[in-house]
Parts: sequence; C-alpha cells; structure tokens
Amino acid sequence: MNAIETVNLRIWYGDNEVIRGVNLVIPEKVCFAIMGPSGCGKSTLLRSFNRLLELNEIARIEGDVKLFGKSVYDMDPVEVRRRVGMVFQIPNPFPHMSIYDNVALGVKYNKLVKSKKELDEVVGWALKKSALWDEVKDRLKDKASQLSGGQMQRLCIARALALKPDVLLMDEPTANLDPVSASKVEELIHELKKDLTIVIVTHSPAQASRVSDYVSFLYMGKLIEVGRTEEVFENPKSELTEKYLTGRMG
Amino acid sequence: MLRKLKEKIFLFSIAIATFLTILPLFHILFSVFANGLPVLMKGEIEFLTGKLAPPDDGLGGIGPAIIGTFLLTFLASLIGLPIAVLTGVFSAEYPKSLIGKSTKTLLLIMMEFPTILVGLFVMNILVLPMGSYSALAGALALAIVMMPYVAVYTEQALREVPFIYKEGAFALGLRRSKVVFRIMMGMARKGVITGILIGMAKVAGETAPLLFTAGGSSRIYFAGLDKPIGAIPLLIYQLVQQPYENYHQIAWGASLILMLIFLAIFIPIRLSIKEVRL
Amino acid sequence: MDKFKIALLPIASTVFGIFILMLVIYFSASIPIFQKEGLAIYTTNVWNAVEEGEEFYGVLSAIYGSVYTSVIAILISLPLSIGFAVFVIDYTPKRLKEPLIIATDIMAGLPTILYGIWGAFVLVPLLRDYIMKPLYEHLSFIPLFSYPPITGYSYFSAGVLLAIMVTPFASSIIREAYRMVPRVYREGAYALGLTRYEATKILLSYIKPAILAGILLAFGRAIGETVAVSLVVGNTFNIHPSLFSPGYTISSLIANQFGNAFIYRYMPSALFASGLALFIIGLIVNVSGLIILGRWRYA
Repeated sequence: MNAIETVNLRIWYGDNEVIRGVNLVIPEKVCFAIMGPSGCGKSTLLRSFNRLLELNEIARIEGDVKLFGKSVYDMDPVEVRRRVGMVFQIPNPFPHMSIYDNVALGVKYNKLVKSKKELDEVVGWALKKSALWDEVKDRLKDKASQLSGGQMQRLCIARALALKPDVLLMDEPTANLDPVSASKVEELIHELKKDLTIVIVTHSPAQASRVSDYVSFLYMGKLIEVGRTEEVFENPKSELTEKYLTGRMG
Repeated sequence: MLRKLKEKIFLFSIAIATFLTILPLFHILFSVFANGLPVLMKGEIEFLTGKLAPPDDGLGGIGPAIIGTFLLTFLASLIGLPIAVLTGVFSAEYPKSLIGKSTKTLLLIMMEFPTILVGLFVMNILVLPMGSYSALAGALALAIVMMPYVAVYTEQALREVPFIYKEGAFALGLRRSKVVFRIMMGMARKGVITGILIGMAKVAGETAPLLFTAGGSSRIYFAGLDKPIGAIPLLIYQLVQQPYENYHQIAWGASLILMLIFLAIFIPIRLSIKEVRL
Repeated sequence: MDKFKIALLPIASTVFGIFILMLVIYFSASIPIFQKEGLAIYTTNVWNAVEEGEEFYGVLSAIYGSVYTSVIAILISLPLSIGFAVFVIDYTPKRLKEPLIIATDIMAGLPTILYGIWGAFVLVPLLRDYIMKPLYEHLSFIPLFSYPPITGYSYFSAGVLLAIMVTPFASSIIREAYRMVPRVYREGAYALGLTRYEATKILLSYIKPAILAGILLAFGRAIGETVAVSLVVGNTFNIHPSLFSPGYTISSLIANQFGNAFIYRYMPSALFASGLALFIIGLIVNVSGLIILGRWRYA
C-alpha cells in the first residue's frame, strides 16, 4: 500500500497553474525527497497532502490525493491533518505557550489520550523521539520562545510526532538552522523513517542524497523524474535532472 | 538669493507650525492643573467622595460623578467588548468575504461618527420607552462608541500574527475556533488588550453620548441600572454652563481628576506600542 | 460551510444592524417635521417654540454654523498639519520624534470636555482680548470682522478650538503618508540639486490624495464635535458672515435644545431632522475621505 498517491494533480493560484498534472507515488516507511529549483511548486505540492492548501483562498485543485488508498477529500480535513503531520521551513512553536503545552496541544484537542498521566507519557515519548528530551526535561514549563532555533525545530517535530502520524511532511526543515542543528535533524530523519513515511521538500540535492531513499525532481510544476536515490543521482534519465544535480541550475 | 530666503522662511514656518500644534496641549495641561489643583487642595478627600454643594455655597464633592464614570465604563465594556472583539476576529479571519470587507469599512466609518448622534439614537430607543434617563442607556451609548475602536485594534492585532503559526496550528489538526482563540488570540493578546484599554479610556472621557442617556446625577451615587447616573465629563459640561463661581471651580477640579484618569490609562499604553489609531 | 463563520456571523452583523437601525430611527423621527414643513426645516432660520399655536423650526443657522466653523478649522489646520508632519519626519532629531508624536496622540484622544472647559474659560478671553477686539476696533468695515466681540463666543472661537482639536488627527494621517514616500523619490529630488523647501514641495504633491483625505476626515471630525463647540460658539440663532458673531452648530443645537424639547410637539422631530442632516453630511465627508485614503494606500 502506498502512503501517498497523487492522481493527475493540478493546482492553481488564481490564474497561475503551479502544479501541472503530477502523478506521484510515495511508498510506505521510506524517506521520500521532493527537490527542484525555487518556485517550482514543491511547497505547494506538499501542502496538498495535508489539505493545508485550503487555507489559501485563491488556491484551486483538480485531480486527487490519496492517503493509503483513500482520497483525502473523502475524509474530514482534521482527520487528514492528524494522520499527516507537518514541520515547516521556519520553526514555528507557539511562543506564548510552554514547551510541554506545545507538544500536548494537538494531542489534547484531537482527544488522543484519556488522562493527564497518558498525556505526560505521550509528551515525554515525543520529546525523546525528537532527541529534545534531555535538553528540556527540567524546564518543560518554560516558554517555547526561550529555545534556540535548532531546539525549536525539534520541538516542532515532537509536536507533530505526538499525534502518532502515519506520514510526516517536512518543508525544507533545515533551511533556517545552523549546520549542527541541521545534521541533528537529518539524523532524526534516519531514525524516524523506520516507523513512518517521511516526505521532505529540499532545495539541496546534497541533503536529498544524504537522507532520502527515493527522490523526485519537480520542475515548473511538472514531475520530471522519480526513483531510488542512488539510481537517480548516478544515472539521471532526464537532462534537466542532470543539470539540477550538477548545480548548473539554481 | 531668493531661493535661500525661501528656504529660511520655509524652515521657520514649519517650526512655528509644530510649535502651534503642540502648544495647546501644554497650555491645557497647565490650565487644568493651575485651576484644578487649588480646588482639590481646598476640597481634600471630601471632593472625591462627597456630593455636590448647593449653588454659591462651597465645593462639596463629585463622588457620584466619579462612581458613575467607573460604572458606566465598566458596563459599556461588558456590553461592547464581546461584540467588538468577535467582530474584529471575524473581519480578520474572513477579510475577502463581503461581510468581512464591508464590516471593516463600516467600523472605520463608525469611528468617525458624531457621538452626539449615538446618544440621540439610544435616547430614542431606550430612554423614551423606559421613561427616564438610565445607567443602562448611558452604557449602551458608550458601548456603541467603543465598539469600532476595539474591533479595529483586534483585527489589526490578529492580522499581524505571522501566517506560519496559523499554518502550524491547522497542521496539528486543530479546528478553526481553536486555531483562532487558543493560538492566534494568544499571540495577539497585547494588541487586543491595547485596543480594549484605549476604547475604555476613550469612553470614560466622552460627554455627548451621555447627554440624553445617562442624565447626570450630582447627589445620588447609584440608584439602579434604570435610573439616571452621573459621570465626570457630563458633570463638567453641566457645571461650566452654570453662572455660579463655585460651580466653575468644581468644574476645574473635576477636570483635573478626569485628566489624571485619562493620562494614567493612556500614557502607559501609548508608551508600550508603536502607533495609535484614534 | 465553515461552522466558525456561521457562528460569528450574527455577532459581526450587529455592527451593521446598529448602523442601519440608527439610519431608520433618524429618518422616522424626522418624518413629522418633514410632513409639517417640508424642506423649510433646513432652509429657514426660525425657532418658534410655542406651547400653543404654530410651532415652526428652521435650522439653517445651525447648518451654516457647522459648515462655517468646520471650514475655519480646516483652513487653520491644513498648514499646521502639513508643517508639523514635515517637521517631525524631516527635521526633528530622533530623540524628539517619538515625544512629539506621542504628544499629538494624547491630544487626539484627550476628552473633548477638557478642550471645552479650557476653550470657554481660557481660550475665548484670550482670543477676544488679543485678536477679536483689536481687529474689530480697527477693521470692522471688513464684513469678516464686523460683529462686536462682547463675550468672545463666536464662530471664530469655535473654529480655532476645533482647529486645535483636529490638527493632531489630520497630521497623523499626513505624517504617515509622508513617511512612506519611497526613499528613491526623496533621494531623486535632492540629487537634482533642489533646496529642502523645493524638494518638500515635490514630495508633498506626491501625497496630495492623502492630504486631501486627511482634510476631509478632519472636516468630518470637526463638524461632529459637540461639547467643546457648544461651550464656545455662543448658541445663538444667527447667520452672520462675521467671524466674531456667535452662532449655532447642528451638534450644539441638539445638545442645547434637547433638554426641554419634549414639552413641544414638533421640537424633538426638528432636532432629529437636524441630526439626520449631520448624519448625512458626516457620512459623505467621512466616506469620501476613507475612500480616497484607501485608494491611495493601495497604490
């Protein structure tokens, strides 16, 4: 069963067609990278997977997105977002809430636990899974705004993991992190993909080659190439892909 | 040569313009202090707590008016704030909808609306049927005056919360009501509270909406929601028009109190934010 | 459909509801006087309040006074607001900018009754003794100065007081607009070797719509102001070209006369009709100002 499948997906922003008929298949429990030059529609594509695109009034979608075989449009968007978590380019933990509350928020409102004790357990588990626990275990009540950039991003990962999603979407998660934090996040991805499917948008082919099992190349809204990472990198089938990988295209 | 002269005249003129614009503030502050302070000194605590003296016969106090101002402001907030904040939320969340856009425009129009007309309106719908001036009518008139300010500040504060946090909240599977009230309002709370305080400071100093609604009361502190009530601005307005010298003095004393209350609320708020829309 | 939107809709519509209800009330309360006098209520200057016999009202004097005092106010305010805006943006040192702006914000929010009491007891005597009396003594052949200033309560005093009250507001709009003129235009003007005066003129013409909007909105504010004006305008049914004549404005007429209006049969309706006039004038002026400002900000 494939985690995510798009069927002839087309997306418009107003009159601008940003995604032009994409048929993508993302297998389960792998790290799947979507790469391409800026402005080619990667982030837009990602947001169609968890129906976050609907927040944008001028966005229009044709075609289908399937989550484990079922169309996301046949599901309650809230349900979709519980099963498909997201981490953003700019770490966005809610600054006015504590570290604990940030992680607990989604769990509470989606009614995933029945008691405070269970909640504490989930929060602890999520923070451990995102390799943040040791750094914050004594200050869970501190405001999230007091964390460093790298810690904030791991908090966002914990927050998403706490919902025990089947898929984790990551939109250029290390773009605004220092190299040390960035490599910590990449280590995390290696760990996490054993339990869930990770879809990562990245503008760095080098990162794609480091973390992903499968990679796809998106150019001007069209899917140019897709396949196992080693294969695509060593033997790109399309000239565009080769240009991108060798840095001759931005 | 002429060019240089024009330049000098220009600089001089705008400096004068600035001076003339600001001067009245200091003149007013000074006059109110100079005329009001002696009255407060003479009246002592009695001035703040007592009832109004008879014509030409001492000072007494403006107690009923002070109580009235606080009560009316409180009641007006009770009535107006929930509606105003929710209206602000609505126009922030649905800025492209017809109602959202026209609400924003309407709010801006109502901010500039002559407040005497609000008072007259409330008089027509509340005072006439009830048969008497009342605290309720006064509070309603003030609430209507307050609403546009609070709504506009709320809307602005919400719009300034970066979109990335809204996305993050939705991505966690939160429903819109939770996203708005738990996350967005939480992050916008400073702007919202500022708007609320400014709204309250403004209506505490309003006179015209109260002229035909609250009625004024100089000897009774609080007779009931459906009875007339006093307010400091209203009292000042009534006293200034009387021919008696002692009433003029009381008016200055009351003005000093009002000015202090206003500045005490307004200056801290103003210092803590970058711009004010009045 | 969005459940959240549906839930909030009734509350957000409350503001609409209030506005429309106000319009309805003002129209319906004015009907009696319209039926009785037609448009004479607006076109004549009469205040015949009698308990028996024929009442007749005409608020021309108030309309005249409202417009006259507001015009005086913006004539004074225009140069002051522009001058202040330019001075604060271009010429004040950084440390002085904030305090100056805060000062005008305080003025814009200050309870108007404080302007009123200061106007009545301090400003009017000053204006009367140092400006009005000398002008009358020497130049009374000019219609503008031809009314003897006895008490000092007059269109002039009201206009000056309104100007003082309204300038901070107008200047904040102009100041914002002037501040946002793109740097490139500033630099361009100076690069042409223009003096500061000449460059400023060019930049000001760039923000003309904002200045117009500021003036319109200031006019709207001035015409709606009640307590401060009613304490200094004299409250007399005059229609006189002289600045020094006392008069009425619509808002001060309502404030002054409503207390005892109910004894008479038609007076309340007459006052509502004048309120309606104020409502509509205010609406036109403020909406125009907001539209111009909105369009300018968008572009």
